[in-house]
Parts: sequence; structure tokens; C-alpha cells
Amino acid sequence: MACFTVTTVAAIGVGVARHIVRHNEKKVDPTKVDPIKLDTLPVSKKLGMLELGLWGGSFILAGEHVIHGEVTFTFPWLTAVSEGPDAVKEMLFEMGTVGVGMLAIIVGIWGIGLLVRKLLLKRKAKLAKE
Amino acid sequence: MYFLVALLGALTFLALWLFGKKKELHFEYGAIIFGAAAAMWFIDCVASAIGGEPFLSFEIPTDLWISLWTLVGGLFFYGAILLGKYLIEKKQAK
Repeated sequence: MACFTVTTVAAIGVGVARHIVRHNEKKVDPTKVDPIKLDTLPVSKKLGMLELGLWGGSFILAGEHVIHGEVTFTFPWLTAVSEGPDAVKEMLFEMGTVGVGMLAIIVGIWGIGLLVRKLLLKRKAKLAKE
Repeated sequence: MYFLVALLGALTFLALWLFGKKKELHFEYGAIIFGAAAAMWFIDCVASAIGGEPFLSFEIPTDLWISLWTLVGGLFFYGAILLGKYLIEKKQAK
């Protein structure tokens, strides 16, 4: 009904966080960065990948909701809102279950991706030492 | 049905990213976009199955339209990201 709104709000939040992190990264003196550090990919780039996933998924799912007639281009945008309190209740329940589940799977996949990357870098460094 | 289309899109972009030679086309972005949509629809499919509905639906023609949208929308989003990246890089080069 409106499950994609959860990931859209999360995408906005991650976007703001990425902007702040990138701003702080610019302030860091490059000479003080640990040269032995394995993972050189900035945190803002990592957040950017998460943001891309959240925006991309939300964009495609928003289209699906438009085709299903659950989202309209006129106020109040969500069909459930104009259908009454029962439909709103159902919509909120769906957002809390399916929407949060969608957010969790995206963040989970992102986290696993970062972990795999870290492990691969560690393995690469270990092989280089040997 | 559209879950399968998104999954197929993600796998295609993943293969292009891993084995393709044109790194400047950033196929990983396409893989992330389609992969995210597939993951989100996977949760939707699981929720449908829990609710007693079929895991995958093949409602014609609605699902065909959504499948088409998945391809067009995903590629449009990927193209927009690439264009934005290209313009930023061009601006920085100046």
C-alpha cells in the first residue's frame, strides 16, 4: 500500500548523513591518515551505495504502486488515506511490517557487502605478506 | 513476476560488472538498483505468502506493465545517475 515510503524516508536520512560525513571527511588532513589502513574507501562512499540502493528500490516500487492504483498524482497521494481510517490502519500496519522488512533487507545486504569487502581486503593483505 | 524481472536485471548487471570491460559505465550501480528492487519485492512476496496469497503472481496485464516499468524505470534511474556522475566529473575537470 505504501511500504516504499519507509525506504524513501530512510534514503533521505542516509542522504543527509552522507552529506555530513563527506563534509567532515574534507576537513581531515590527508597526511594524518593511517597509510597501513586496509580499507581506503571513504565512509561517505559506503553510505552512497546504501543511499543508491534505497533510492533505486523506492523509485521502482513507487512505479509499481502507481500502476496498482495505490498511489495517485493528486492529494492525498495515497489511495488508502481517502478510503477511511480502516484502510489507513491497514496501510500503517503494512508500512511497519513489510516496509521495515524491506529496509532491514537492504541494510542487511549492504552490511554483508561491506563485511565481504573487508574480509577480501584482509585476505589480499595476508597473501601479499606471505 | 516483476520480482523475477528485477532479479534478472540485477544478475545481468552483476555479470557485466564482474566480467565486463567497460568499467566507466559503472555497472555496479545498475546491479545495486535492480538488486534493491528485487530484495524489496522478495519481502513483499514473503508477506504475500504469509497472508495466504501465492508467492509469485502472474496477473496479466498488470504484472506485464509493472515488469516493463521495472526495466524502463531501473534503466532510467541508472542512466540519470551516470549522467549526474559524468556532469560532476566534467565540472571538476574544469
